[in-house]
Amino acid sequence: MLLKVENLQAQIDEKQILKGLNIEVKPGEVHAIMGPNGSGKSTFANVLAGRDDYEVTEGNIEFDGEDLLEMDPEERARKGVFLAFQYPVEIPGVSNKLFMQTAVNAVREEKGLPALDMFDFDEYAQAKIDLLGMRADLLERSVNVGFSGGEKKRNDIFQMALLEPKLCILDETDSGLDIDALRVVANGVNALRSEARSFIVVTHYQRLLDYIKPDHVHVLFNGKIVKSGGFELVHELEENGYDNIIQQYQGE
Amino acid sequence: MTTLSSSTRGNKPLAKKFAPVVKAAMEHYAQLTDDLNKITENPGLASLRETAKQQFLMQGFPTRRDEDWGYTKLTDFIQKPFRLEAGTHVTHNDIEAYLPDYPAVRIVMVDGWFSESLSDDLSGLPKGVTIESVCDVLETPELTDRVAHHEKQIEDEPFGVLNTMLLNDGYYLQVSRNVSMEMPIFVLHVQAQDHQVSNVRNRVLLEENAELTLVESFVSLNASESEFSGFTNVVTEIEVGQAARCKQVVLQALAPRSYYFNNQFIEQAENSVLNTLYAGIGGQTSRHQNHLKMNGKNIESSQNSACYAEDSQIMDSRTYTEHNELNGVSRQLHKYVLSGQAVGVFDGMIKVAQAAQKTDGQMDNKNLLLSGSAQMDTKPKLEIYADDVKCSHGSATGQINRDQIFYLQARGIRKPQAIRMITEAFLLEPLETVSQPAIRDWLAGALSQKLNG
Repeated sequence: MLLKVENLQAQIDEKQILKGLNIEVKPGEVHAIMGPNGSGKSTFANVLAGRDDYEVTEGNIEFDGEDLLEMDPEERARKGVFLAFQYPVEIPGVSNKLFMQTAVNAVREEKGLPALDMFDFDEYAQAKIDLLGMRADLLERSVNVGFSGGEKKRNDIFQMALLEPKLCILDETDSGLDIDALRVVANGVNALRSEARSFIVVTHYQRLLDYIKPDHVHVLFNGKIVKSGGFELVHELEENGYDNIIQQYQGE
Repeated sequence: MTTLSSSTRGNKPLAKKFAPVVKAAMEHYAQLTDDLNKITENPGLASLRETAKQQFLMQGFPTRRDEDWGYTKLTDFIQKPFRLEAGTHVTHNDIEAYLPDYPAVRIVMVDGWFSESLSDDLSGLPKGVTIESVCDVLETPELTDRVAHHEKQIEDEPFGVLNTMLLNDGYYLQVSRNVSMEMPIFVLHVQAQDHQVSNVRNRVLLEENAELTLVESFVSLNASESEFSGFTNVVTEIEVGQAARCKQVVLQALAPRSYYFNNQFIEQAENSVLNTLYAGIGGQTSRHQNHLKMNGKNIESSQNSACYAEDSQIMDSRTYTEHNELNGVSRQLHKYVLSGQAVGVFDGMIKVAQAAQKTDGQMDNKNLLLSGSAQMDTKPKLEIYADDVKCSHGSATGQINRDQIFYLQARGIRKPQAIRMITEAFLLEPLETVSQPAIRDWLAGALSQKLNG
């Protein structure tokens, strides 16, 4: 088991958002988490990455046999947790290249590998740029500064490719993307799929999932997973919306 | 010729009252003037100093009640009388670490005195480039032709007046018509002895179509002695002739208990370009001031600062920019990073005269506070008398965006390093205006080292 989340409860500003979430992710699996606005999807993604605005009040998270909640965000990243942000931030003056070289070397340090110098890094990064079909000038620019919404998300996928994480969490990466950008993101994810790498794709829409075809689909409502199924659940939701499932759940 | 100064100051001003400690300090510096005047043989020089002294005794040191000094307090400074002595022995070994790692003509000033032995041999300068010690000029009758051009403006600056009182040395630098001085001129200003005044008066003259890159670096030799304190007081008069191009970088990296006051009086003629950057990282109290007059058509100027202050440092950088003719473009970016209980002060004024139509003036001040007790005081101002201009000024002060820190952390970068990366990028932005990579890297290195130390 790569990730085991038990009875996760979390709040922000005294407001309870997650109310007992359970999920298990095996290596190589792709899970989708869907749900209406305010159900706690983004909170879950951010709690996994360690954002400290959220306070975990109950439950535990085991990642690769270790207690994830004990780790700082950077520790989690070094051990293979990756969050693709809903809103990647701009960092003026910090070049994408310096940023990613520093990040790649942080992860390599964790794995006991020697740091990549500028030349080795360039070569390594170029291979990933080719793999994902990214624009070549990506590295020369300041982190996300002046990027369009789509470029920011693509930059996150590029970072994911560079860091080769074990668990990739995509927090509504598809929101606000046009069809071309969406395809690039989806292709990126598909290119990075492997037996050793798992994905949690948090999304509102089925569009991205049509490209990615997750193994498992979960519906999150009011801080809990209320229904799980296979890829067919995506289409059920598309046709009937969340209401049926929610009513069904509330009836129980 | 009539003098107006007597009429504007005609009515006898009420004698100001000074606290005993302030009075003692004033008398101390007045005594230094008397000592200097005893040994001069040039009556013109003696009278210049004496006039300044009389004015200084009347107006005294600024207090916190003076609007321009409200945030830049001088209480500690006034309690330390600084001596004025020449002849501190400094060897090449002492200064080697402070010399640039790029090719330059190097001038060394020790405690305000031009050091011929430590400076490069100036006989080999390209034709049309002159560098001299002001000390030599002072004893000649052409004194006021060659230095001391801005006495009227200097009167309004207390440390300018003090500088005239204590006129003793500095450098005189001239680039003749159509001459491009390709190699930068690097002036190392060294505070060598504890409790010394380094009183420096410089004149930089670029004739028509001349070009110059001037780098100035202010350092203290005994910075490791925690109580070392020097007092550097500079007035630099810069004249940028028609179509001349002047690039200047000033690095102030003095000891943490030292004081720095620098008044630069700059005049630009038609079609000229000025680019000046101040990087402040040292000193207990420091104040860098540009008084810029854009006196011709089609002038471009760029004035920028990158300041980092920590502990209880007070760091003040200010600009006064006059657009006096058509089509002037001025750009300013002043950035401060403040930690501990540091105080940052920015004051900027863009004044656009009626004749200065089509002026394009931009002034921006951005500040990053790394601690809850650091403080930034900022006052960007515009005064516009022309109707067809494009001017803007802005200021923003904030803390590091937590989302930025988290973004880097989420990629495996430890929090302290994430903060350093973001802070450094913020502080170094004004350096993008420095066009020579070697100088920019040298400056970036000094700032990064301070920030990460």
